[in-house]
Amino acid sequence: MFDPLFIAQLLLNGLVVGAAYGLAAIGLTLIFGVLEEVNFAHGELYMLASYSLFAAVSFLGLPYGMAVLLVLPIMALVGFGLSQAAILPNMERPFEVTVLSTLAVAMILQSIVRLTAGSTPVNVDTVFETMTFEIAGILFFGQRVLILIVALLSIIAFAVFLRYSRIGLEMRAVAQNRLACQMVGIDLKRIANWSVVCGVVLTGIAGVTMAPLFDLSPDMGVAIVFKSFAVVIIGGMGSAFGAVVAGILLGVVEAFTTGYGSVAVSEGLFFIIMILVLLIRPHGLFGRTVRI
Amino acid sequence: MIPRSPYLIMLWWPILALAIASTGPSQYVLHILIIAGIYVILAQSLHLVLGQLGLLSLGIPAFFGIGAYAETLLSVHFGLDSLLSLVLVAGITFVSGLVIGVPSLRLSSHSFVIVTLSFAMLLQVIAFHWVDVTRGALGFPDIPAPSVLGFSWTDKTSWLIAILILDVVTFAAFIRIKTSRFGRALAATKGNEDLARAVGFSTFRVKLLAFAISGTLAGIAGTAYAHYITFIDPNVFGFSVTENLLIMVVLGGSGTVFGPMIGAVVFTVLPELLRFSPEFRSLLYGVLLLMAMLRFPLGLGELTSRFRRKK
Repeated sequence: MFDPLFIAQLLLNGLVVGAAYGLAAIGLTLIFGVLEEVNFAHGELYMLASYSLFAAVSFLGLPYGMAVLLVLPIMALVGFGLSQAAILPNMERPFEVTVLSTLAVAMILQSIVRLTAGSTPVNVDTVFETMTFEIAGILFFGQRVLILIVALLSIIAFAVFLRYSRIGLEMRAVAQNRLACQMVGIDLKRIANWSVVCGVVLTGIAGVTMAPLFDLSPDMGVAIVFKSFAVVIIGGMGSAFGAVVAGILLGVVEAFTTGYGSVAVSEGLFFIIMILVLLIRPHGLFGRTVRI
Repeated sequence: MIPRSPYLIMLWWPILALAIASTGPSQYVLHILIIAGIYVILAQSLHLVLGQLGLLSLGIPAFFGIGAYAETLLSVHFGLDSLLSLVLVAGITFVSGLVIGVPSLRLSSHSFVIVTLSFAMLLQVIAFHWVDVTRGALGFPDIPAPSVLGFSWTDKTSWLIAILILDVVTFAAFIRIKTSRFGRALAATKGNEDLARAVGFSTFRVKLLAFAISGTLAGIAGTAYAHYITFIDPNVFGFSVTENLLIMVVLGGSGTVFGPMIGAVVFTVLPELLRFSPEFRSLLYGVLLLMAMLRFPLGLGELTSRFRRKK
């Protein structure tokens, strides 16, 4: 039961899934941090990325890498569309208008996928899935290693983008003080579009790398949005760093509770951790103090 | 804002429903009317928090599900009189509303939306996995017919009458709340929370009480649903109820008195008339909701801000 190898294996699995959770949650927290808008279509965007990957692999017969390269620009376009239809028009309106608009987008995306791909779960096969190698008794699966590498690279690349690019600088400025940014001539709409597109692409990267691990179904977004919200709330809304830390934390918690208990326990535990964090630190572990 | 005799105007729905029922329609038409009647109660539940307080609660299915499961367990295990168990369930959902409300209402309005949604999802997870009590994914088939003071019914006409009575009672309660001192406290809290607090309202208590009453209404709808459909499973906690309710309340007009009631009836009947598949209905609802938000986010955005400017 408390075999060190088993524990190390669980830890590794948790890190992998946690990195992907963190990556997906950055997509959500970025939009909140910069624009203070909650994107309820988040889970469906993740689902859309996974299904687009499935379509590219199964129907177009593309190899996994090519399929990913095809899906990500599509996600960028979808992000732009989301920004135009549901986020930009509602920036000056009460927050619940954006919540309802993005919920509407979620309903549209989910029913489109249901109408085109059907409701039966599907599966994406990649070459990495069957690839396994063993180091010191711990099993490494190709796809999981890929997830870890891609997630870490994306997070680092995004951090560099935020830190050093002009757009990244402007995003951080808008997050700090929107009014002051408008006064010094930062184009708020442009930054809003960039933030939403970046957020959706990051969500998409998480979606396409995680897709081969689990069965896909049109309602998978509900579980994703639940986990991403938990990650974002625990990490502190608007904090990218918090999202990564909380994502990994929850990934590891999930791996251990599923390893020693059941999936139900881990889902319940997510929620309980979320409520506890909210009660003790209403702004999350890294809210307010560390912003994007 | 409130018509002179809202108690009379609200009777349009029971009168309309009974008029249709009196023409001897098919069982299917009666079924649609009954479902519309259940949605009228649920719409009132969301309307109380969203329309009166501007709180977007996505946790209505939590209370709907608690109500359905509590009623089922009470009638299967104890065989209580339905009126008695209805009162018990109302109490249970009211207390659940307090329990869920205390942590959720302390949060920012963004987090409130997320946490109320999470509560519904957590309860669904519990319903799936606490097999000893809830029978898990199998659900409860053959829930016994309700019996009130020894009188029991299963036919759809009696059901329609029973649901219409519940509709009238809950809507009357809603108007009573809206026109009471508590209703003015709600309006004050929605209009300007700091000001309301400054003039002596405990806005947290006001919100908590409204949230718990909203939960009670959803719980009552849940009991009716469980007895009428005679089968429940963890999907009663599902998101599709919220989806329908948002369309009904928001498109019906959450800033108005009768809007959500009209929305509940229209958006139950319309998809049936047009014979949409659930997928297509969801697509259409999504497009309608998005367009409504873009063109006239009335009741939510525009109406509240107009209301604020007047103050």
